[in-house]
Amino acid sequence: MERLLNIDRRIVYLAIFLGVCLPYLFSFVELPVTITADVRRIYDKIDSLEEGATVMVSFDYGPSSKPELQPMALAILRHCFSKNVKVVGVTLVTEGVGLANSAMETAAAEFDREYGRDYSFLGFKAGGAILVLNLGQDLQGTFKADLKGTSTSEMEVTRNIHSLKDFDYVIDLAAGFPGIEEWIAYGQERYRFTFGAGCTAVMAPDFYPFLQSGQLNGLIGGLAGAAEYETLIGRKAKAMGGMQAQSVAHLIIIAFILLGNAVYFLTRSPRKTSP
Amino acid sequence: MPFFQRTLPLIVAFLAGIIGIFTYYIPVAHTVEVETSTWYRIIAAFAMFLGIHSLLHMHWYRIRRQQAGWGYSLITYAGFTVAIILAIYNNGQGFLSPMATGTGLDLNWMYVNIHVAGGATMFSLLAFFIASAAYRTFRARSTEAVILLLAAIFVMLGRVPIGAYLSDFVPEFAQWLMDVPNLAARRGILLGVSLGAIATALRIIFGIERSYLGEEGN
Amino acid sequence: MSRDGIFFVGFLVAFAAVNAFLLSTGALAASWIGFGTILAAGLTLALYSFLYKDNPVFKAAEHLYVGVVAAYELSLVWYQNILVDVFNPLFRPPEGAGPKWLVLVPAFLGLFLMTRIFGRWIWLSRISFAFFVGLGAGLAIPRRIASFVLQQIEPSIRPLSIDIASLGWGVLNPPIILLGVVSVLVYFYFSVEHTGVVGGISKVGIYFLMVSFGASFGYTVMARISLLIGRVNFLLEDWLNLSPPIF
Repeated sequence: MERLLNIDRRIVYLAIFLGVCLPYLFSFVELPVTITADVRRIYDKIDSLEEGATVMVSFDYGPSSKPELQPMALAILRHCFSKNVKVVGVTLVTEGVGLANSAMETAAAEFDREYGRDYSFLGFKAGGAILVLNLGQDLQGTFKADLKGTSTSEMEVTRNIHSLKDFDYVIDLAAGFPGIEEWIAYGQERYRFTFGAGCTAVMAPDFYPFLQSGQLNGLIGGLAGAAEYETLIGRKAKAMGGMQAQSVAHLIIIAFILLGNAVYFLTRSPRKTSP
Repeated sequence: MPFFQRTLPLIVAFLAGIIGIFTYYIPVAHTVEVETSTWYRIIAAFAMFLGIHSLLHMHWYRIRRQQAGWGYSLITYAGFTVAIILAIYNNGQGFLSPMATGTGLDLNWMYVNIHVAGGATMFSLLAFFIASAAYRTFRARSTEAVILLLAAIFVMLGRVPIGAYLSDFVPEFAQWLMDVPNLAARRGILLGVSLGAIATALRIIFGIERSYLGEEGN
Repeated sequence: MSRDGIFFVGFLVAFAAVNAFLLSTGALAASWIGFGTILAAGLTLALYSFLYKDNPVFKAAEHLYVGVVAAYELSLVWYQNILVDVFNPLFRPPEGAGPKWLVLVPAFLGLFLMTRIFGRWIWLSRISFAFFVGLGAGLAIPRRIASFVLQQIEPSIRPLSIDIASLGWGVLNPPIILLGVVSVLVYFYFSVEHTGVVGGISKVGIYFLMVSFGASFGYTVMARISLLIGRVNFLLEDWLNLSPPIF
């Protein structure tokens, strides 16, 4: 029994790997995705925007968070483009540039949206939270040109945008620092735009105080949140596809935790229980 | 010399801090706020050069001294060199034009196939480690640990479809855990951390906290 | 040859055979895109080899990754920051406008940072750090007070004025939140000994923290598994070109 407590860790690794692979190999019963109010509020906000409204999306994540945040980004972009809402992208982190550009071009191509008229990607600048401050003060002065070198004062999508408060909605997809807290403190607090966020599941518990205070109008947390958004827009993609694997893996980890506790309590000697 | 090495930086920090605070409250100082924050961003960009230099210097030192693992440092330099050459070439546009992307071998190709693949894989290793750690160390030895364990299990089940499949109560209870007790604890932590951060910022501005200046002897 | 050596050679042969098959059947394009996918898959599997044990293949992949990341960051700093905000305004100003000389101030402050590389002039970097850290601290103070203190206190004490006509179990939530916030703050106040009433409130705070940490753990597990799902998805769909479910 005690040997169970010290099994080779590679057996645990194999169990997790098989748990994630199994749903890709065999078909599972379709599990329902429960839509939470926090995700629905972001969906409802974008759905309520009129044609021609402009949304800013900040892609503050890199490759290490791509599996969670890229599906979220694609779902939001697809929703915006399907409603003919214009999108301006930016990123506070260097690693986000390639992923953001890829997400915008992929989603735009699906809806035949034109660069410069319907969407634009400004790119990256150093400074983190101070970049948010500068975007609020003078967007066109901060980014005189976008990533491709097109002038922001001439481009149709950014011609009339001078500050963050000119956007109809701002969404930050963040994986750490700088991220949502910086957008709230340096942007939303002064310029009072409606602000939604998506984040990795690790960070999601931290932002519930901002949901209750109204500083965040909604929150998409992790791959599960992305799956909820895909369900809402009626377009099942990678997030939905990952939910079966997520469920199986969670059950395996819970089983390991319960097994570990059961073996521990069954094998410990009575002397060790005294305080 | 002590004036330039110690006193002048403290004066600069004080004046910069006062500018940062008062431009928030004085609308007419808006242009000062814009200009100083732009300077901040430009200095931050130069600071990134410093970080990259530090990394390259460490690997160069290892190669020069032929320390253990210096062959791997050669691989680091090889990857860096190829990527920098592609960055300077910039798909034929040169380094004085905006970044250009193509469909062949370029910096974006290296980003997608090395940076993204490597970064995503490195962090995905954590899935295995967290499972192994949970099995070996997560023990319900006390009341607090039991509460932690139960909360973890309900959240793990409630946030994925299997929870709703088992019972409607599971996702509802998981959501309540996030919306009420978790919110309360996080707000308490946020208030405490924010007050501490404000105190530290004031200490920096008034010159009490000087660790950012480095060693006194320099 | 050792057992590990046999594993390594066997793995290389299998990897090469799979890729040759994928290229020959057209599942992977014989272009830079296809070769890129092969490189990404190889890098992924090399990094996963660490799960078996630390080995030279893992170390080589890790160091290659580090080198490319450094180069990518450097290039973005140049193209998106130095070129656009310093070089162009000084040396290539727009037509009709002169050089923006004010940019020389942050440019020199930034160059002062580089003196950390040279021992003799290192004191110049302190001026840059002082400006950078001081301004950052000054900008943060009023914003943190407004966003993270004042705007967080107000919703916590809102329960004292709730409309009690809206009865239901939900009416208990605001007082629970208030209790939780206060008890957690009491727990973190170490200037008073945690005995008696203070100890009791502090204990309640610990229970709230445990729920929060448990939720954090659950979400962390979810996040880590999601990352693994992403890589498995890449290997099965993007590299091996399989359409799940396979059976």
